[in-house]
Amino acid sequence: MQAQTRNRQWPWVAIGLSLAVAFTLSMVSPADSVQGDLVRIMYVHVPAAWLAYLAFFVTFVGSVGYLTTKDLRWDRIAAASAEIGVYFTGLAIALGMIWAKPTWGVWWTWDARLTLTAIMFFVYLGYLALRRTTDDPVIRAGRSSVLGVLGALQIPLVHFSVVWWRTLHQPPSLVRPDGPAIQDPLMLTALIVGVLAFTIVYGSLMVKRIELIKLDDQKAAIEQSIERPVAGEAVTVPDLGASS
Amino acid sequence: MTTGFWHQVSAVVHRDLLRERRRGDVLWITIPFGAIALLLIPLAVGTDAILLRQIGPGMYWVIVMLFGVLVSVGKASNETLPQQDASALLGLDPAAGFVGRATSATLLLLIFEVVVGVVAVGLYDVSIIGIPWLIVTLIIVAIGLALLGTLTGSIVNSTSAGTALVPLLVAPLSVPLLLGATQSYEGLRLGHSILSWVLLMVAVVLIVAIIGVLTARPLQET
Amino acid sequence: MTESPLVELDGVGVRIGSTQILRDVDLEVDAGEEVGLFGANGAGKTTALRLMATLIRPAQGTGRVLGADLTSPERYDVRRRIGMIGHTPGIFPELTLVENLLYAARVAGVPSERAGEALSAVGLGGAADRLAGASSHGMQRRTEFARELMIDRSLLLLDEPHSALDRDAVDLVEGLIARTAAEGGAVVVVSHDRDRINKIASRTVELAGGTLS
Repeated sequence: MQAQTRNRQWPWVAIGLSLAVAFTLSMVSPADSVQGDLVRIMYVHVPAAWLAYLAFFVTFVGSVGYLTTKDLRWDRIAAASAEIGVYFTGLAIALGMIWAKPTWGVWWTWDARLTLTAIMFFVYLGYLALRRTTDDPVIRAGRSSVLGVLGALQIPLVHFSVVWWRTLHQPPSLVRPDGPAIQDPLMLTALIVGVLAFTIVYGSLMVKRIELIKLDDQKAAIEQSIERPVAGEAVTVPDLGASS
Repeated sequence: MTTGFWHQVSAVVHRDLLRERRRGDVLWITIPFGAIALLLIPLAVGTDAILLRQIGPGMYWVIVMLFGVLVSVGKASNETLPQQDASALLGLDPAAGFVGRATSATLLLLIFEVVVGVVAVGLYDVSIIGIPWLIVTLIIVAIGLALLGTLTGSIVNSTSAGTALVPLLVAPLSVPLLLGATQSYEGLRLGHSILSWVLLMVAVVLIVAIIGVLTARPLQET
Repeated sequence: MTESPLVELDGVGVRIGSTQILRDVDLEVDAGEEVGLFGANGAGKTTALRLMATLIRPAQGTGRVLGADLTSPERYDVRRRIGMIGHTPGIFPELTLVENLLYAARVAGVPSERAGEALSAVGLGGAADRLAGASSHGMQRRTEFARELMIDRSLLLLDEPHSALDRDAVDLVEGLIARTAAEGGAVVVVSHDRDRINKIASRTVELAGGTLS
């Protein structure tokens, strides 16, 4: 029992510890010479953006896994990763915009990376919208796996097209979409620790979300195994006398 | 005895084009809708000729991407469940059905592109440059968009959202086509090579075509 | 040696979404049989027909139609030998009656001349160029029967075949049923017209509570 409790608690401990370390480092790291304390948004924005790409890749792997094995466990991985990914993609975009306005004077620039992230966000949204349209787990898994593979295979092409496009249309020199280069070792450490902390958060959320999806599936399987009236039994012999 | 794959493809193309000819959805609804969208834009951004000449090509391709997908999911290219059942029981290979529907959507999209293109040239005073490469671009974009629309139409088939979800799914995936088309025009205008953009768009077409053919059977499950 | 049944369903259950439609369905249909399928509204008769047409996969149990497992890709190979006329016509309203048949002929790989012949056989030779959407429900039904006359089928599945048909066309239905059974095929007919079906069917089954008796 104690071992079970410890097992359930370790993800929270890991999350708490890693986030605490990341937060501390981000607070003690020096302010940027140009941006001041605004640079601290980077310690959340960059890890969130990293998770967006990681989650997208895992959704692709899960989709391929399902299409090749027809094992619903792969679909659960793909779906859980997409849900977490869309959240972190949105967070990355929102934080990036909050950082950009005081820094660059605009909420948004058409940097290749930002543009690609925004496009990925909509691909995720479409994937999740598709999953909501059918209850049947097998049909849902099949259809969203195809979309997951299609989206992932298209993303490199989207990436190339956006990068080439930005290469042809250089941004104004006042706005540097690449951002400042990080030279201070403490800042770099804080950033790397932040990325690791968020990756632990992602892993823990994935474990929990997959567990929940599995419980949902088990609940559905139990409900389906219970002898219930078939749909047709709801139709009875009409009785006009009942209305008088 | 089942007929050859391409024989079935041509049967589906013939069927869909005949249905469109009788319904006129693309000719009388989608094309005018695209044209009026081109008309509305200057009302919103201003009618300065220099500005319109600059944004015209881009606006044209955005209209093609957003409205063109409606061609793939229009009534004439969609089938009810009894119609799908009947086709399945004729021995129609799902992959042949996919290729057939995508082919007829391509042909209708080409018509859409040409007619709306004429409107864009008129309203925005856009120059027509590098006609051979322009034709190549129009064809590749039509094929790519038709494939994307047909494949995502199959993905959402028989779900509660139906075809309403298709534009949301297609739009982000059509970005390489959009950028390929617009940058090809820019490249032609400036006298640069556009081969890399053309190859990028061809890559989109190949990937979607392969996925569409390979997943045609599993996606037919209802 | 006894031939395998054309339809073999063993403990088959069908679910659509989270709704159980059929449960523990056992049915065998042999070559030459004409089986009448009765049941109340919503009993799952149409679902049962679509299952036998290999258009739905069973969620429970095992099933074979024309030798093909209902859960395996081999079911695609037998579809061409299965004819189904459902409740709602599966023809294209934008095409004429003959164009619908020509499309079917092209896909199924039968000579296109059969389209005109089949349409004449069902009494629609004079209306061949009428748009299906502008034709009555009964005419659309006859067109579907023409399609089934045109193509050689081993299994014919009919959902309320007599509805919307006049007396002349009713003879057509019964002729098609008899011909299919005589040529070694089988027919399953869903109908509410018990008297008529009892006259032509070799046996009848009742669908109630999601299962057959």
